[in-house]
Amino acid sequence: MRIRFFPILAHVLALIAVAPLLWILISALKPAEEVFNFGWPAQWTLDNLQYVLLKIPMPRFMLNSAIVSVAVTVIALFFHSMAAYALARLRFPGRGIIFSGIMSTLLVSLPVILVPLFLVAKQLGLLDSYAGLIVPSIFHAFGIFLLRQYYLNIPRELEEAADLDGCGYWRRYWSVILPLSRPVLASLSVLFFLANWNAFLWPLTITRNPDLRVIQLGVSGMQGQYASAWNLILAAAVIAAIPTVVVFVAGQKRLVDAMKTTGLK
Amino acid sequence: MAATPFPARQFSRRSVLRGGLGALAASAAGVPLLSACGGNSSGGDAKEMSFWNFYGPSDDQGPQSKWFVDTVEEWNKNNDVKVKLRYIPGKDYLNGTTLQTAFQSGQGPDIFLISPGDFLRYYNGGVLQDLGSALSDESKADYLPGLLEARSVDGKVYGLPMEIEPLAMYYSEAAFEKAGLSEADLPKTWDQTLAVAQKLTNGKQYGVMFETQPGYYQNFTWYPFMWQGDGNAIKDGKVAFDSPASVQALKFWGDTIKNKVAPRKPLGDGGGDVVSNLGSGAVAMQQSGIWAVADLRAKAKNFKYGIIPHPTPDGGKPATDLGGWAFVANSKGKNPEAAAKFIAWALGSTDAAGVERQRQWNTVVKTNVPPRKSVQQAADAKGAFAEGALKKFVSEIAPTGKPEPRFPPEVYQPIADAIQACQLNAADPAKAAADAAEKIDTFLKTYQGAPIS
Amino acid sequence: MTRRRREALAAYAFLAPDTIGLLVFVAIPMVLAFGVAFFKVDGFGNYQYVGLANYKLMAGDDQLWASLKVTAMYVVTFVPIAFVVSFALAMLVRNHFKGIGWVRSAFFLPNVVSLVVVGLIWQFLLVDKRGALSRLLAPLGLGDVSFLGTPSLALGTYVVISVWFLMGYQMLVFLAGLKDVPKELEDAASIDGAGPWQRFRYVIWPLLRPTSFFVVVNSTIGAVTGLQAFDLVFVLTKGGPARATSTVVLYIYEQAFTFNNMGYAAALTTVVVAILVVCTGLMFGFTRGGRFDED
Repeated sequence: MRIRFFPILAHVLALIAVAPLLWILISALKPAEEVFNFGWPAQWTLDNLQYVLLKIPMPRFMLNSAIVSVAVTVIALFFHSMAAYALARLRFPGRGIIFSGIMSTLLVSLPVILVPLFLVAKQLGLLDSYAGLIVPSIFHAFGIFLLRQYYLNIPRELEEAADLDGCGYWRRYWSVILPLSRPVLASLSVLFFLANWNAFLWPLTITRNPDLRVIQLGVSGMQGQYASAWNLILAAAVIAAIPTVVVFVAGQKRLVDAMKTTGLK
Repeated sequence: MAATPFPARQFSRRSVLRGGLGALAASAAGVPLLSACGGNSSGGDAKEMSFWNFYGPSDDQGPQSKWFVDTVEEWNKNNDVKVKLRYIPGKDYLNGTTLQTAFQSGQGPDIFLISPGDFLRYYNGGVLQDLGSALSDESKADYLPGLLEARSVDGKVYGLPMEIEPLAMYYSEAAFEKAGLSEADLPKTWDQTLAVAQKLTNGKQYGVMFETQPGYYQNFTWYPFMWQGDGNAIKDGKVAFDSPASVQALKFWGDTIKNKVAPRKPLGDGGGDVVSNLGSGAVAMQQSGIWAVADLRAKAKNFKYGIIPHPTPDGGKPATDLGGWAFVANSKGKNPEAAAKFIAWALGSTDAAGVERQRQWNTVVKTNVPPRKSVQQAADAKGAFAEGALKKFVSEIAPTGKPEPRFPPEVYQPIADAIQACQLNAADPAKAAADAAEKIDTFLKTYQGAPIS
Repeated sequence: MTRRRREALAAYAFLAPDTIGLLVFVAIPMVLAFGVAFFKVDGFGNYQYVGLANYKLMAGDDQLWASLKVTAMYVVTFVPIAFVVSFALAMLVRNHFKGIGWVRSAFFLPNVVSLVVVGLIWQFLLVDKRGALSRLLAPLGLGDVSFLGTPSLALGTYVVISVWFLMGYQMLVFLAGLKDVPKELEDAASIDGAGPWQRFRYVIWPLLRPTSFFVVVNSTIGAVTGLQAFDLVFVLTKGGPARATSTVVLYIYEQAFTFNNMGYAAALTTVVVAILVVCTGLMFGFTRGGRFDED
């Protein structure tokens, strides 16, 4: 009895959990006048999605988000793995202090330092530019920490074998460590991509040029322009969410692996 | 900020604390990076000026957007210094941070739109350009009395109004009929409003609606109710908000929500959006501005409605608030002289083309009371105010109006908080008014900017 | 050059990009906040030294205290509810059954969608009188309730939405933690006659303490200063109605970017940082037995 009850409960709860998302998807496929109708649409339509994609620069917003998310992900993973390698495998004076310093920044989240960070970005001339969207988003201790954990577990012999061949540290990192970290990098790239695709506050703060709007700004801006056109707002929301859902479904296994292997093993 | 949350149970207590405190200690050290503050490059003579607005060119390319595009095109054809429009969606412009952030970073637009509520903030910030030299005396004399004064300091004009927007109550004829009510039931007093709204409220519809979202707009729509009882926020440079007039106005708005005859969350864009609320049948009466006539004309052609003046309290006098945005130039912009010239030309030209441009804006693509006498005459000649809601606005409602006050944020904010607390949180109006008055008083004691009116 | 020195130099080179980045974009802003806090910054780039005036302003700023209260209320409701819900979900999907993959994904899915979209979704579902939820609740006589328009309900609604958003993520964290609980130990307890509650109390719970600790710290920090305290509120309610959901970070943002009081906002920032450091310190202190030392 117990064995049957809990799985059924789990399925029901899962359905309830995704119901709001499904409802939005259905509503986005309804004609404008039906959007508040409580039920299955009398007729399905792609007009809303079409309007949002063609009449509103939604593709442009998505392109911006894609550029920013990919750039941040690639650069961040590269830098983080370098830093993590040093912290995990190399001995040098000040290692403890540098590691604690890096870890302590984990306490600081964007909303807290938003105001001074804005001033720094202003001084560096980063406002209203792709660089401004990308560069400050790269640095985050979280990735360094996870990669370091991973590197601590790589057997030393592998590296030492490379050393015998007379490799320098860069070669060791590049041809031994980096290839070995492919799985963890793949997992992290899923997380990083999602986080950056979904970023809102920082782009909101530093961009004004409409050509630089990222998708989340574009979607939230829909409310200002199409306040009463819920059919269009929902269509935009669906479009903004699709890439994240796709990435999630494709990278799901990696995501869970990442949790198991690096963070919580 | 790849702000990715992730489980990490092994991070060290000691190391995190040590690092955190270290950073804290380091932070106490001082003030770096402050050296190169300030600094919009002032007084340039660039060949292109940016013009930020919330009309065009918009995605829908409606008539109002087209007016902006055409006007700028016309200017660019005949002038070396070109104007480039940048469209910012209304909500972002009105209650958002786009403009503020731009000025904050020294990249403010050269020309932009400003509401009376924001005038002092920008004036006191030293970024408004004196338009005087670009404006002819003939043009100045053409404006209705009081309009330029509301945008002037020490006799210098810093903004040219593009429109006058009075407020009134809109009602849906169909809703009244359905509830078995007739024109005779249209409310004249606050008590009648509550009673009629009660009859108009049902499962799908609220009887009456006032703005509930906080912001300059809400304050703007609330002031008339305070004025009706002869109240004011500031009188002769001193705080006057703690008065029976404010208290009863706060209470009236609160009562509409307390009695459940008004919505807590309006649809669409809120109070200014008549199409989404009154037009959709979600409310039966709605306070809004003259612009809604054009909105309804464009988006709900067959919707039958009427307007009435704001209902008054017992012994009160009729009152409305005359809103209206103005063009202003950034004195620290790329070419303030040319920007001033553009504004004077776009809104203030007294030649036939200039009057026609204004007539188009005020009575064709949008509905306003024109701010200039010559434009009113031209519009009258075309019968713009001959009948219906517009006639009533011009002949009956606008004359009871006062220009929207130009309160800086420190005055506006306590009032906004009082309105919000009484309207949505059932706060005690007397206490809310007293609290707000105290804050305004504190501010006024140290205020040193241009006169608040 | 000795091997040692070479290794050290290589390490610094490897560390340079990230360390410099974190210095410029995290550490310096923190320091800068303490500097700017002593200035009145008017939003047009004009700075004026005002000493401690910004800090003195705080005492009389009711809105600040109100927003601190909102954040506190949010933390004390959101953190335990999210903890219990996600733990329960983890227990529910711990052992294999048919379709477990889909069930786990379903719980996690809201977390994949951005907070902006989440805010829009719930605004739509909660539209007064017409939204799907009002319709759903109408038979219970709750059709007229304005969840986002009533101050006493808005914060609760925001908590529920936050839980919905984050429960899947925390569930995964618990699942990973549960992997560390050896099945044999539970079985042994079972043979010794321990019921489900006793097994939970004496086997699972002690072994899960590190995970639980992580979840609590993480969600507390998130609730105070995380993006959920800004993005979601910003889109969902803008801090309304009547400031009922105005969190501290939203308030700071408003001060800085809506009212242009950068100096005051910076001063507020320093206070939040201080509160955060103290809170985290206390939490670390209270959980001395939680085995969190460096490995």
